[in-house]
Amino acid sequence: MPSKDKVLEEVTRTENIDIDAALDPAEPDGVFRDSRECAALALQSGGTNLLLSPPTPRPKKG
Amino acid sequence: MEQSSTSALLQGTVLDLASDVVSALRSGDHVRAGSTLTGGGAGEGVARAAVRVLGADTLLPSVLLGVPPGPGQLAVFKDAVAAHPPRDDAAPAVVWSHWAMTRALRRTGPSPDGPPSDGTGAEPDARWLDGAGWQFLTHQLAVLAPLALPGEECAVTRVARGRPVDVARGFVRAVRRRDWQQAAGAGRWLTLLDGVPDTLGLEAGLDFVRLMGGSDPRVALQLEAARLMPAAVLL
Repeated sequence: MPSKDKVLEEVTRTENIDIDAALDPAEPDGVFRDSRECAALALQSGGTNLLLSPPTPRPKKG
Repeated sequence: MEQSSTSALLQGTVLDLASDVVSALRSGDHVRAGSTLTGGGAGEGVARAAVRVLGADTLLPSVLLGVPPGPGQLAVFKDAVAAHPPRDDAAPAVVWSHWAMTRALRRTGPSPDGPPSDGTGAEPDARWLDGAGWQFLTHQLAVLAPLALPGEECAVTRVARGRPVDVARGFVRAVRRRDWQQAAGAGRWLTLLDGVPDTLGLEAGLDFVRLMGGSDPRVALQLEAARLMPAAVLL
């Protein structure tokens, strides 16, 4: 039989859970792969052209 | 403070639950799929919330492998569906994930001598994906990866079927952004779609996602689903 405190703690926890944020998460910021990983993928893919193009050029600052 | 500790607890429980599902998909053992729920590690409310977050994939071993869910696991799943209905102003992904859970319940948990365990089943609309850019489309499909099942039809599936090249582009983008969860979810969808360009190299791409992101049980879950789905026949 859970104690009253335990039950209260559980209810408080449950009410504080933001389910919607977990169910519809925003897309995280991208981190592009570096060339070593591209090379690893080239070896693994056995000569196909998968994902081997360089990262999209990005505008320079300033 | 309370919020962050609760979020961390929820995230941890979701990861444990996803690990259970991955183990079950690899071994065919439904007991493993529910061990986090029945082991008493998390409080009931947190366990229910974690099931709601993992969604219909909590029952994926039952759906794909045909092993019935354990009674305790099924009870928590039903509780999660009942305790966390979408709010009136919920985002479409939230509404659809709840619908996916009710569909999973109907498939795996009908009462033996009565009607399906959920009497609703009206499908939400997929208008929010009308004309969606390929990046947004892929993100939303990855969030709704539990809908990607062989032989299952719904409006979201029909949208995905109509845009295999866009999903393939989204998969590549997700890999290059190191968003392994999105890449694995998109890859799962791609295993279901016709018209995926051969030049994508999906199989090698999924291997790469496993290599880079497979230590996250949520990623591993999608990859196991993608591995099993081509051969799976739903009951």
